[in-house]
Amino acid sequence: MADVLSVGVNLEAFAQAISAIQALRSSVSRVFDCLKDGMRNKETLEGREKAFIAHFQDNLHSVNRDLNELERLSNLVGKPSENHPLHNSGLLSLDPVQDKTPLYSQLLQAYKWSNKLQYHAGLASGLLNQQSLKRSANQMGVSAKRRPKAQPTTLVLPPQYVDDVISRIDRMFPEMSIHLSRPNGTSAMLLVTLGKVLKVIVVMRSLFIDRTIVKGYNENVYTEDGKLDIWSKSNYQVFQKVTDHATTALLHYQLPQMPDVVVRSFMTWLRSYIKLFQAPCQRCGKFLQDGLPPTWRDFRTLEAFHDTCRQ
Amino acid sequence: MEAPPVTMMPVTGGTINMMEYLLQGSVLDHSLESLIHRLRGLCDNMEPETFLDHEIVFLLKGQQASPFVLRARRSMDRTGAPWHLRYLGQPEMGDKNRHALVRNCVDIATSENLTDFLMEMGFRMDHEFVTKGHLFRKGIMKITVYKIFRILVPGNTDSTEALSLSYLVELSVVAPAGQDMVSDDMRNFAEQLKPLVHLEKIDPKRLM
Amino acid sequence: MEMFRSNTVWYIICQPPTACGYSTGQLRFRGVSQMPVAEGKSVQQTVELLTRKLEVLGAEKQGTFCVDCETYHTAASTLGSQGQAGKLMYVMHNSEYPLSCFALFENGPCLTADTNFDVLMVKLKGFFQSAKASKIETRGTRYQYCDFLVKVGTVTMGPSARGISVEVEYGPCVVASDCWSLLLEFLQSFLGSHTPGAPAVFGNRHDTVYGPADTMVQYMELFNKIRKQPQVPVAGIR
Repeated sequence: MADVLSVGVNLEAFAQAISAIQALRSSVSRVFDCLKDGMRNKETLEGREKAFIAHFQDNLHSVNRDLNELERLSNLVGKPSENHPLHNSGLLSLDPVQDKTPLYSQLLQAYKWSNKLQYHAGLASGLLNQQSLKRSANQMGVSAKRRPKAQPTTLVLPPQYVDDVISRIDRMFPEMSIHLSRPNGTSAMLLVTLGKVLKVIVVMRSLFIDRTIVKGYNENVYTEDGKLDIWSKSNYQVFQKVTDHATTALLHYQLPQMPDVVVRSFMTWLRSYIKLFQAPCQRCGKFLQDGLPPTWRDFRTLEAFHDTCRQ
Repeated sequence: MEAPPVTMMPVTGGTINMMEYLLQGSVLDHSLESLIHRLRGLCDNMEPETFLDHEIVFLLKGQQASPFVLRARRSMDRTGAPWHLRYLGQPEMGDKNRHALVRNCVDIATSENLTDFLMEMGFRMDHEFVTKGHLFRKGIMKITVYKIFRILVPGNTDSTEALSLSYLVELSVVAPAGQDMVSDDMRNFAEQLKPLVHLEKIDPKRLM
Repeated sequence: MEMFRSNTVWYIICQPPTACGYSTGQLRFRGVSQMPVAEGKSVQQTVELLTRKLEVLGAEKQGTFCVDCETYHTAASTLGSQGQAGKLMYVMHNSEYPLSCFALFENGPCLTADTNFDVLMVKLKGFFQSAKASKIETRGTRYQYCDFLVKVGTVTMGPSARGISVEVEYGPCVVASDCWSLLLEFLQSFLGSHTPGAPAVFGNRHDTVYGPADTMVQYMELFNKIRKQPQVPVAGIR
């Protein structure tokens, strides 16, 4: 019987358990009945006492038995919804009035959706971890708690070192002049003038390039109070486009352990704009597309392409 | 790209018939300091301004009796400033009611190829000199205190020699023709500079 | 060019202004080009054809413009003494630089000055006299397309329309020789194959920064070319 119950439908175990509870309740009330009736209908006091004790004992035994039975059954019933993937909410499927309360089907839908989301998020997180966009030296995957409090060493390079790196790059490219200034504390700002083609404002944090703005050679790069204007964009669409591409390049060139190489690569890439107005697109062979010259420069080959012509 | 303001009308003109009202005087080198001090007190509250100019006088000779004179001036201490081309008409002494010398005047800011252009027009260089001094303003009045230097080698403004041991003091106003009241203000101002310097209307013809 | 009217000329001008004290506008790079007048069409019709092409291209109308030019010759009084016979001086204005006045000699320097220069020319009346009925000007509409500024104008001398001027300005570039190919491609996009050869300014002075004076020189050359053409009636030519 017990075996049948354990493997059978839980509902049967439930029915058994309910009748066991009923049995327990009646045996318990028999105990109290017995106590309430007391000793009576016996001739001798001794006989009455004996019969009462025996009766009381029987009753207690049956309570005990019923209780054990209930405990056994309740184990069988166990946590009834444990095997159900929706746990207790799975019981909603028992609701006979499906049409009026379609809770269960909605619940299933939501469950599938959240399952899928979790799965995709897991995949995405895996992929993103492989191709980190973080440009600082912090290791990916290190939890926030365990991240060392000290700044990464590449962010606390001495200004003298930064000056050296920049002046070396300045000497590398004759057609490019770099003017370094530190208007706000230790962070350097560069004004790069490329031939007579364009000017670039580069905002640095140590040797990391934080922000870059490209403007025309003839455009004003200073604010009214004579400081470098790091916020306003160029009036010309072509330089707004080049600004976008330069920002992309900042994310592309990264090598957290060797920031000087990054700056040099970026400047080498930037230098290819010396022919901004002279180089036709390497794909379509034309100069103009929607009124713009080829504003994209390949990160590896430095070839000129229109924004829409690059692969 | 922002559109510049566009007018349909061709732009011609400029300010026609401006007159320069002028009073002149001079101080010896040693009394320069006290004059500067007085001027600083009297004039508009501004940073003391100095200038170093190279001035070239050009002549265009025609068949008329008098040649046409133009003055080209450039700042030597402010790079990037435009050249200044100046035409000055015949000075008029006027009567005693007008307290300043008056002459017609045209001031033009130009690009730095002015010398070449004047030569192309047929002008010839007459003489050149360097002026160095101080500039003060009070309202529309302009006060210059400067020394004139002779240029020893033509065209070379590095080697110069002071022309005299004194400073020239000029009080001038450029105003549209007919506003002779400005000369009253000028006289009042000149009064306040006495006895450090006596500014007078000097007839250049008398000096010739 | 047979099929085109001889009195229509296109030119390429380029220009950013050089600073002259007050003019603080951004520097611009320009090219002016010619537009052919199609067979049997009037100047007016050709201008309309051209502006329609620009609008189809996506250019936006942006106000009007005007460039004028007055010719002065040395007065007889100075001829003998200076030997300047035949030398003409041009005084020009451009609505793009409303506070400026440009004075030029053919193959000579171009002076950029403020408009008081016009007053000086009045004072110089005894030495320089304006040639009779020599005033020539071009007026028309400005169009903007991306970073390009295109000005299509009707060149008039006195009462008659004498030709068409097309000016193309490419603001981002300051060195003329750098962007000639790019300008040419742009010109071809609305002028077809009838684009001009490179104006002198694109060739001879490498690396010099283009200024408004360079544009004025091109306009002067264009006006001189138009002036020399025999005047033909505008309509009814084959």
